[in-house]
Amino acid sequence: MHTVLTRGNATVAYSLSVLACLTFCCFLSTVFLDSRTTAHVNTVKVLVKNVPDYGASREKHDLGFLTFDLETNLTSLFNWNVKQLFLYLTAEYKTPDSVLNQVVLWDKIILRGENSALDFKNMNTKYYFWDDGNGLKNNKNVSLYLSWNIIPNAGLLPTIRSLGSHIFKFPAEYSIASV
Amino acid sequence: MFNIQTHMDYEGQHKAEKFSRFIITLFGIVGLIWGAIIQQFSQTVYILGAGFLLASIITIPPWPIYRRHPLNWQKPRNIELPASSGDEGKKKKK
Repeated sequence: MHTVLTRGNATVAYSLSVLACLTFCCFLSTVFLDSRTTAHVNTVKVLVKNVPDYGASREKHDLGFLTFDLETNLTSLFNWNVKQLFLYLTAEYKTPDSVLNQVVLWDKIILRGENSALDFKNMNTKYYFWDDGNGLKNNKNVSLYLSWNIIPNAGLLPTIRSLGSHIFKFPAEYSIASV
Repeated sequence: MFNIQTHMDYEGQHKAEKFSRFIITLFGIVGLIWGAIIQQFSQTVYILGAGFLLASIITIPPWPIYRRHPLNWQKPRNIELPASSGDEGKKKKK
């Protein structure tokens, strides 16, 4: 502490140590919070087509089309250690070939401060609902649920599944008409 | 020329370190509480930054208050001009 440089060095180093300590306190204050909440998903229009999947094998695969309603209030999830939420809507189903199939159909980023009480009606999906075979036609048990990934200032990046899901079925006939 | 002192004495160095630790810790705690109240961690960081600036201004430059306990040096003995050469024996005695 005998020159300007050593005092400057000590002050900067101590400030950074305190900053790390405060960040850790911020992490500790939020790590045990429960970030689950309910999201109501509902399908409006559901149909399935059998079209060549040029992105994969050129064989005809099942392609699902659906529009959905989504109603949820995520305001309670935000606190001083949440910068943004990454929401995504997953369809989960079972086929004779594979036990667990998961397809992400839609996603959205909500920054802190933006409106987080969502009420969407008759939304189109953002991504194709391809099956890797013919597992969608007449599938009676497809569940649709919302999940979110919390992006914090400091700490964990938890992926949380909403409470409640919507179960729907695909029609037994392929749709011919263009959507 | 001007006789500008740029040192801190030992007591002053101790005081400077104590002050800077105290200021930064205090601003950190206040910032954490305020940030938790308004739920904005950025405010915590800004308040800590203000504490850092204040501590830098108060304790980094060698202000005169850090020079209040000068060391009591003994008076120099045998003041002789080095120009008075020819006395090799006397220099060895030193």
